[in-house]
Amino acid sequence: MIRIALKDLFARKRRLVTTGIAVVLGIAFLTGTQLLSVSLSDSIKSLVGDVYSGFDAVVRSPRTQETPFGQPIRTQVPAGLVDQVAAVDGVGAAVGVVESPGPEIVGNDGKVVGGGFGPPTLVYNWIDDEGLRIGSLRQGGPPTTAEQIVIDFRTADSLGKQLGDELSIATTQDGVRPYQIVGISGLGDDGSQSTGVRPITFTTAEAQRLLNQPDQFNFVAARAIDGETQADLAARIGEELPEWQVLTGEAFTAENQEQISQFVDILEIFVSVFGYVALIVAIFIIYNTFSIIITQRTRETALLRAVGATRRQVIVATLLEAIVVGLVAATFGLAAGFALATLLLRVLSGFFTISSTVPSLAGGVVVLAVVIGVGVTVLSAVIPAIRSSKVPPVAAITEVAVDRTAISVSRRIWGAALVVGGVALIGTGLAQTGPNPLYQVGGGALAILVSVAVILGPLIARPVSRAIAAPFSLGGLIDGRLAGENAARSPKRTAAAAAALTIGVTLVTLIAIVASSIKASADDAISSSVKADFVVATASLTSFGAIPADSADAIREIPGVAEVSPIRFTLLRLLDPVGVASATTATTVPAGQLGAPSDAPPGEDTFALGIDPASWFDVVDSGGLEGSPEDLTAGTMAVERKFATERGWRVGDTIPVYFVATGVQPVRVAVIYDEQLGQGSILLPLATFEPNSLPLFNTDSQIFVTTEPGADTAAVKAALDAQFADIPTVSVQDLQEYIQSQTGPINVFLGIVYALLGLAIVIALIGIANTLSLSVLERTRELGLLRAVGMTRWQLRRTILIEAAIIAVFGTLMGLVIGIVFAGALSVAIAADNPGILTFQLPVVQLLVIVAVATIAGVVAALLPAWRASRMNVLEAVSSS
Amino acid sequence: MSMTTTPSGTAAAGAVDAVKVYGTDDTEVRALDGVTIDFERSRFTAIMGPSGSGKSTLMHCLAGLDRLSAGRVRIGDVFLDDLSDAKLTELRRDKVGFVFQAFNLIPTLSAAENITLPMDLAGRKPDAAWMDQIINIVGLADRLSHRPSELSGGQQQRVAVARALVSRPEIVFADEPTGNLDSRSGHEVLGFMRYAVSDLNQTVVVVTHDPNAAAYADRVVFLADGRIVDQMENPTAERIIDSMKQLGG
Ligand SMILES: Nc1ncnc2c1ncn2[C@@H]1O[C@H](COP(=O)(O)OP(=O)(O)OP(=O)(O)O)[C@@H](O)[C@H]1O
Ligand SMILES: [Mg+2]
Repeated sequence: MIRIALKDLFARKRRLVTTGIAVVLGIAFLTGTQLLSVSLSDSIKSLVGDVYSGFDAVVRSPRTQETPFGQPIRTQVPAGLVDQVAAVDGVGAAVGVVESPGPEIVGNDGKVVGGGFGPPTLVYNWIDDEGLRIGSLRQGGPPTTAEQIVIDFRTADSLGKQLGDELSIATTQDGVRPYQIVGISGLGDDGSQSTGVRPITFTTAEAQRLLNQPDQFNFVAARAIDGETQADLAARIGEELPEWQVLTGEAFTAENQEQISQFVDILEIFVSVFGYVALIVAIFIIYNTFSIIITQRTRETALLRAVGATRRQVIVATLLEAIVVGLVAATFGLAAGFALATLLLRVLSGFFTISSTVPSLAGGVVVLAVVIGVGVTVLSAVIPAIRSSKVPPVAAITEVAVDRTAISVSRRIWGAALVVGGVALIGTGLAQTGPNPLYQVGGGALAILVSVAVILGPLIARPVSRAIAAPFSLGGLIDGRLAGENAARSPKRTAAAAAALTIGVTLVTLIAIVASSIKASADDAISSSVKADFVVATASLTSFGAIPADSADAIREIPGVAEVSPIRFTLLRLLDPVGVASATTATTVPAGQLGAPSDAPPGEDTFALGIDPASWFDVVDSGGLEGSPEDLTAGTMAVERKFATERGWRVGDTIPVYFVATGVQPVRVAVIYDEQLGQGSILLPLATFEPNSLPLFNTDSQIFVTTEPGADTAAVKAALDAQFADIPTVSVQDLQEYIQSQTGPINVFLGIVYALLGLAIVIALIGIANTLSLSVLERTRELGLLRAVGMTRWQLRRTILIEAAIIAVFGTLMGLVIGIVFAGALSVAIAADNPGILTFQLPVVQLLVIVAVATIAGVVAALLPAWRASRMNVLEAVSSS
Repeated sequence: MSMTTTPSGTAAAGAVDAVKVYGTDDTEVRALDGVTIDFERSRFTAIMGPSGSGKSTLMHCLAGLDRLSAGRVRIGDVFLDDLSDAKLTELRRDKVGFVFQAFNLIPTLSAAENITLPMDLAGRKPDAAWMDQIINIVGLADRLSHRPSELSGGQQQRVAVARALVSRPEIVFADEPTGNLDSRSGHEVLGFMRYAVSDLNQTVVVVTHDPNAAAYADRVVFLADGRIVDQMENPTAERIIDSMKQLGG
């Protein structure tokens, strides 16, 4: 029996390939990402180790706050601390280190290098002590005047710069100005490594000036005298300087490694999601393939049963086939994943040093590939296997090649149960009850999706196929009619072939709708509340402090300008009872840390805007105000009404707020306003903002500009453009451009999501191609007959292509409907919590494009089976059985 | 009795020195070994011969379903040997009707749709009067909307013959059309073909093993080892059986 199964399997190698290919792709993605992330975190860890390798102890401020983007923010230390640390016993040398983002490099094309993605540009100060210096000098010497800098070799190479060349740097102090490259550095003993970060090393004074932190360092690094361990050194410093935070060099490095590997982890999770999507799609394809194969083998199976094979033997034989397919697919998938990881590592090695471009094949990954590959395949083959065992021996003499059985009652019950369960899961998930709302919603959606595809699909496949075929058979075209009937003939198979596509399209539709709704909402909110004619904004969201400090004043001088209102962003922590209760993470104290622990009390972190109260409410419509903008003096804030109501705040209340720069401060609520713009639930007048913010945040992020009535707006725009022409980090936007820039990151995110979901759709199409190949095989005789009575090759091809189009349209429409329903449910749920926050909007054009692309792709998927069918020998086909 | 007939202008189809070789060298089979024959218009011809004598091969080559190794075949005035696949397909659709032993119908189409299939493929409307006439004769008027699976074997073969006739082809070939039928259904099908020749002026060629079936024909051609070995005009079942005994012995 087993021999028979294997013989059959290898006799049909092409089928083996098409069955397994979906699994191969899924596994490739899963293992590829895992291999990549293992290699990446290894590389990154060793690189970060190189950066701070000379440090035995680090002394820094205990004043810190977590940020949503991973890197905590922290206050600086005074220059005087360096000598204090140096004076501690056991310290060989101590230096102040400047390390901060801020100024940006301007490339040869006049644009900011990096553009907001990937590793940042960081400012460092030159450190004389070679043991404590970050990296080593490969060429040239240290910066000795304010105009001189050292950059790393990779930055130099990528910009084509050499020693002695000038490099343009955008700063808030002087706009864009040239610095002279006097040295080229790199990490590691020989300076041959790079983390991908673009370090620029200035003289200490210049670095401090550019970051608005004169006489301040970001931390102090110390080196031990010979024979002193890091732990002893740190302990001694901690004892002497209890008000500062002290870490061993190792702990400091570990902390940095931890932060970077978080990014790698997120990347890994993000990409593995698509591996899982691919696998779910694969399950449908394998299930369908096995179903068809087993139906086609009915006679053979019946014959085996007739000559004495037991039901068990029949099941075992099928499962064995599945195991072989799974094993082969897992092996190829692993190989493909390895290739993928290698390729990505190669690409990434262009950006930073990677210890080895060959990923290390971890045992866990191999086991994962095999378990998932075989598991998924066997799982999808179980039901067809059981069904095949039910073939009665008498079927050997009857002719049933197509599964025409009705949808069984138990199937309907299971389907209904899945839908009800799915709805319940989503409901509880959205209501935030249960262990993991996100998984609940996802799992519920999947349950509904599966049941709709497996139960509803077959029920409606027949009429829908005929309806879709109708336009193709207009004018009595027989090929359209035949295609429609072929799709309708086995609704279960048509539905299953389409199900994979349905899943892909559902996801794409859902994401497209949610994204367009978010964009529409932002659009609505901004265009209805922002009264400004122009917004001067930083070119990328990550470039803090790119707008020169005197810009707002200069803009006021432009004729025709009425109001000029700059805004700034910061993070603060609310310490009111609601904030304290909702504190999620008490700042963790890393191992190896001595001295003062982080001083941030538990509370709720939130964004706040720094505004000019005299002009803000004129440029942004904030609805009704309780209290007057004039009351917004130092030590006060304005709060959005809903936010205030939830917390029970009233005008006049004083709220304890933690600022990283200044610690806990009482802030009085002076104004409550009705409508907010974006993240701005809390507005701090600059009088409150400036003294309480780190220098990094204490620069304008955006400047709103209104024009006088009747002013020549084109002239104003021209004047604004002229003013910022030389500063690539700043862009002048009209309201429409501003809206676009605010929603731009959504587009980038969407681009990635679309690309990866495209993969799921490609796999789904392989499924359609597979189903059609098998159907064509099964209908050989019929097709031969059609050819015999005069169907041309082209007509035959067209018939099969139309059938593919019908399946694709069917799958796409189901996906579209489910996606729209899901998106609708989601936005209703969101709106229940936050009325008015999400405007449900159907991106009609995008959805039409999705339908068109999926349909065309479906037809493309059928090209090969159609071509093969049209090439077959008519006589052989007619006489085949 | 002459072993061969010379092609004449009035023939609906014919072959000259038709040779069909399968396989190569040691496995070589000469399925047709120099067959020259004409099928005159409005006549009913039966082809008989032992299994493997090349009957089906001859039909397939004549009907444009297969190509000869040597020699020529023609339908009407058109020689098939140098036609492209597309032209050959068109010719099958418009000039030839074909009935197989079984599995003649597309399961997803109704009887009526199966009958008009060649016309639909050509994008032409069937001649309504002609169509009605055929349907009435085959006696399927009340079965037209049925799917093949809802028809008996005999009914299915009658639908197939109707389909073969619907486009008024030059010639209809039927390869053992009654082979799978009981004798009553078989006679219905043959009677219908006889009627098509006598009353509708169609040309029909049938392969059969059954002397009673062959007796419906105007002429019987005997094949053996890929050659024509005998012919008989206005046959009766007894004469056919006699002739077969002679050839066999
Ligand atoms: N595709 C093929 N490949 C090889 N040999 C073939 C092929 N088709 C037919 N033959 C051989 O050609 C010879 C004639 O076959 P053909 O089918 O024409 O016989 P037939 O007279 O129709 O027999 P039957 O009465 O059994 O249908 C036989 O010897 C057969 O084995
Ligand atoms: Mg034959």
